[in-house]
Amino acid sequence: MNLLLRAAAIAAVLHITPAVVLVKRPDAVRALLPGADSYIAREVHLSAPDAHRLHELVDWSPEDGVLTFYRGQAGSTVVGALTFVRVDTPHGPIEVAVGFTPQGAVRGVIVTKATVEMKPWVLEAVGAGLVERYRALQPGDAPAGAAGLVGHTGNLAVYIAGEVDKGVARALAAYRTFYNNGHVRA
Amino acid sequence: MLYDLGRADLRIKWLVTCLLATLGISYVFGALMVSLYAGFTPERVAATYAGRAMSMPMPPETTMVTQHPMSMADFARPEVHEVDTDLLVQDTHVHVPMYGVIAAALSLVVVGLALSQGWALALITLLFAAPWLDFAGMWLTKFVSGRFAAVTLVGGWAMGLGYVAVTALAIQQMWFRTRGVDR
Repeated sequence: MNLLLRAAAIAAVLHITPAVVLVKRPDAVRALLPGADSYIAREVHLSAPDAHRLHELVDWSPEDGVLTFYRGQAGSTVVGALTFVRVDTPHGPIEVAVGFTPQGAVRGVIVTKATVEMKPWVLEAVGAGLVERYRALQPGDAPAGAAGLVGHTGNLAVYIAGEVDKGVARALAAYRTFYNNGHVRA
Repeated sequence: MLYDLGRADLRIKWLVTCLLATLGISYVFGALMVSLYAGFTPERVAATYAGRAMSMPMPPETTMVTQHPMSMADFARPEVHEVDTDLLVQDTHVHVPMYGVIAAALSLVVVGLALSQGWALALITLLFAAPWLDFAGMWLTKFVSGRFAAVTLVGGWAMGLGYVAVTALAIQQMWFRTRGVDR
């Protein structure tokens, strides 16, 4: 019922503009996994209880119940991991790439996709230093990029920063809870 | 009949022509957008709307991990634009009312053409049925079978066919018919 009401509320105000790529995925991968020369895709297929647990933590379930992390290695040395998280907003989806160091801290955040409408808001927020505010966050920390922009940018940039906060929070929760867990299936 | 586009005032003919031209531009860019995000083959449409849900509909009993190597070329590969249920709800909300308005506008043009009642009814039905088929195909592809992607394609082509038929008849009757045809 809640889902239906939310869908109805969203549908009532929606006029979605087309998606635009702000940063290509290979460029985001190079920036967030610097020096890596090989990559492993790690797909975590969540059980129903684990999907519920994640939903309780960050009010979100990944598409089709699958979390996908990409681990980068330079030779045999792990450089880190990254994940792409989609955040659905009333103005359309944005995609946020969140990179982690091998120790699990946030190495960097890149907004890779938005819609035509939201692109200027994202650019304003990023130009005001939004993504720097996520650097070195630890799993368990709460991202507060939007709060840091209040008074420094327009309201729409603050709004979109709140959506990016959601993406980073989801990535942090997913990484902390599932990156190193789960039974590896051949 | 009082409303006959073939004998209408010049201003009405010009209005209808401008409407048809504007709709034509939107249809061309609509087709371009479809080619960018979904494609014109049943396989691509099925991949867009059915997504991975078709291959793994049930969550595993315990959380499982699969791994596979990735190259930079894999990251660069064009992504399949997947429309999940939430997005399809949004798309349906945004598109269906507009399709209804467009079908109604084209139907008003049809009513003013010198056509038999049967042909007029058939054209009006086509204009409204096309978007119904388009979106019915998307929902059926998502929740029943990827084979229903063909329904979406039929709906899309039917929209184009309806527009072309109405436009060709209207332009011919408004600007190239030398004398009226009584119905």
